Amino acid sequence: MSPGERSEVPAPEIESKAAAPTDVPVLDVVDLTVGFGSSTNRRSIPLQGIHLQVAAGERMALVGESGSGKSLTAAAVLGLLPDGAEVIRGSVRLDGEELIGAPERRLRDLRGRRMAIMFQNPRASLNPVLTVGGQIAEVIRVHGEAGRKESWSQAVDLLAEMGIPNAPRRAKDYVHQYSGGMAQRAALAMALSCRPDLLIADEPTTGLDATLQQQVLELVVEQVDSRDASLLLITHDIAVARSHCERTTVMYAGRVMESGPTATVTADPKNPYTSALLKAFGTVDQRRMYAIGGVVPTLLGELGECAFADRCPLAAPECRDGVPELRQLDDRRVACVKA
Amino acid sequence: MPLAIYIARRLVFLVVALFGVSLITFVITRVLPGNPAYLIVGVQADESTLEAVIERLGIDRPIMEQYGHYMRQLFSGDLGDSWRTKNPVTTDFAVRWPATIELASAAAILSVAWSVPFGIISALRRRSLSDRLANVASGLGVSIPEFWLGIILILVFFFHLGIAPAPIGRSLGTVPPDVTGLYTLDSLIAGDWGALRSALAQLALPAITLAITTGAPLLRVTRGFMRETMASHHIRSARALGVPERSIVLRHALPNVLLPVSTMAAMMYGYLLGGTVLVEFVFAWPGIGKYAIDSINASDYAPVLAAVLLSACSYIIVYLIMDILHFIIDPRTRT
Repeated sequence: MSPGERSEVPAPEIESKAAAPTDVPVLDVVDLTVGFGSSTNRRSIPLQGIHLQVAAGERMALVGESGSGKSLTAAAVLGLLPDGAEVIRGSVRLDGEELIGAPERRLRDLRGRRMAIMFQNPRASLNPVLTVGGQIAEVIRVHGEAGRKESWSQAVDLLAEMGIPNAPRRAKDYVHQYSGGMAQRAALAMALSCRPDLLIADEPTTGLDATLQQQVLELVVEQVDSRDASLLLITHDIAVARSHCERTTVMYAGRVMESGPTATVTADPKNPYTSALLKAFGTVDQRRMYAIGGVVPTLLGELGECAFADRCPLAAPECRDGVPELRQLDDRRVACVKA
Repeated sequence: MPLAIYIARRLVFLVVALFGVSLITFVITRVLPGNPAYLIVGVQADESTLEAVIERLGIDRPIMEQYGHYMRQLFSGDLGDSWRTKNPVTTDFAVRWPATIELASAAAILSVAWSVPFGIISALRRRSLSDRLANVASGLGVSIPEFWLGIILILVFFFHLGIAPAPIGRSLGTVPPDVTGLYTLDSLIAGDWGALRSALAQLALPAITLAITTGAPLLRVTRGFMRETMASHHIRSARALGVPERSIVLRHALPNVLLPVSTMAAMMYGYLLGGTVLVEFVFAWPGIGKYAIDSINASDYAPVLAAVLLSACSYIIVYLIMDILHFIIDPRTRT
């Protein structure tokens, strides 16, 4: 799709989950490319040709090391790119509706209501001077789901659902009175308050105690499933992807390296980067900790070769001939000429 | 009752601080060259008259003995006498402090009124027109000396344009009946609109001068805190869940900004209440600042000491009140 065609996509007047055909993915990201700076003065291209599809009710993991562009992808989906960043090309569709180029009013309406996000560091994600319940109730209220009184009682119910004991009283508390685990439960309650079709969880357990991580992840999965919502779980830990998501997309240096059912991707990785990542997380038996040699390339422009070529054990001359295309290979897609 | 303990602790601190301030000021004024006895008796007086005056003032005694005497006086509510005005210092203060309070309050209100909203708006969009204007305004405001600004304002608005009254103090016409000592309030209470107009006209230039110089740092601080808050995780979260921009600014960001900014504003007000020496001097404003300057020039110990103590006192008390307010407003201090 060319940029000119985007604006012609009409915003649907009526939205209904039931009306959407089942083969339309909840989230459909095609060739998403994001750059910093202006077209005449491009400073870097942190996302290049991202493809990502999340079907209804599906749990997708977005895996990659720091700086691979996972969170930036989430920001682009929400239409909240940082200052100075812009979408160069590509498309992001939510339930079939094009979001790139959509008016801010429409995006604001969709955020929180049809797509929601929870971040890492939950205690910082909640406002220190507003009550936790008040913040949840506000999200419900601004989307016109309920009035002042009704939204508060819904907020209390949501907190209780997320396993916050004594929710009616705790709703009146402030975030500094919450532990990290409880704050993340509250953040989940806030994100799910308007029953979104898609929840993006951006490293939701980073910064929590190891014992809490599993609990919070299980709660996220359970709550998303019970609402028939889709989950995009952003994590650097491929083991987390393996235990909680049906499908996995592996990113590296702003590109998708491999994407497919988690079981096949982790059991039989076709991209050397996926193999290296699995090895680094110790999911392959080994004595010593494995580290991928070299560093992530700086993304100053569109690369003309495989981004992993410099660090790849299987690198060959043909890897330098161009950016490997994301090819369909059985039930998955792989961006590697050797696959 | 944490609030009561907190206030008690701060009051103890207040006493300790005032004790320290009094000691330092006392010692400094006494060891400085300049003997008020010479000024009192004049050059024509003979040795025995001079001796008698020195004896009466007690300034031939050891300095610690003098201090002890002063503190005993202080605890009985006596701030000493001014030899220059021949009045007890408390009497002089009763006349002059309302003038300072009136000017300080008007300046503080104006200062907050322009700098805080400007700081908030300019922080919302980087490199926007308001952001650039805020840069210029705060840069000029913090670097222009207030006495110079006062003189320029007099030159322009009184001398050239003739829309401001002459800088000769508080009021040209009749003084309203004394209730609070603040001419603006008193003329309001008396329903005397002419007096109110006159009082406001006199107040305008010195208050604006102070509002510009004290507002500039306040503008910087407000803009800084607002920028920081708008970039924080909880603002990002609220935005990502569709909270409208209006609520983001007013409900989510503003309270986080006003807490530290109000502390800064309170410090500024406390500082103004202690007398604004230079501006009072330029506008012949009969307040504590001008009184202190006149007293220093006359080696008049008691009023100088009293003015410093009053300044420290008002600073600490305003700060204490703001702290107590924060204790009530900020949820984080409550648990």
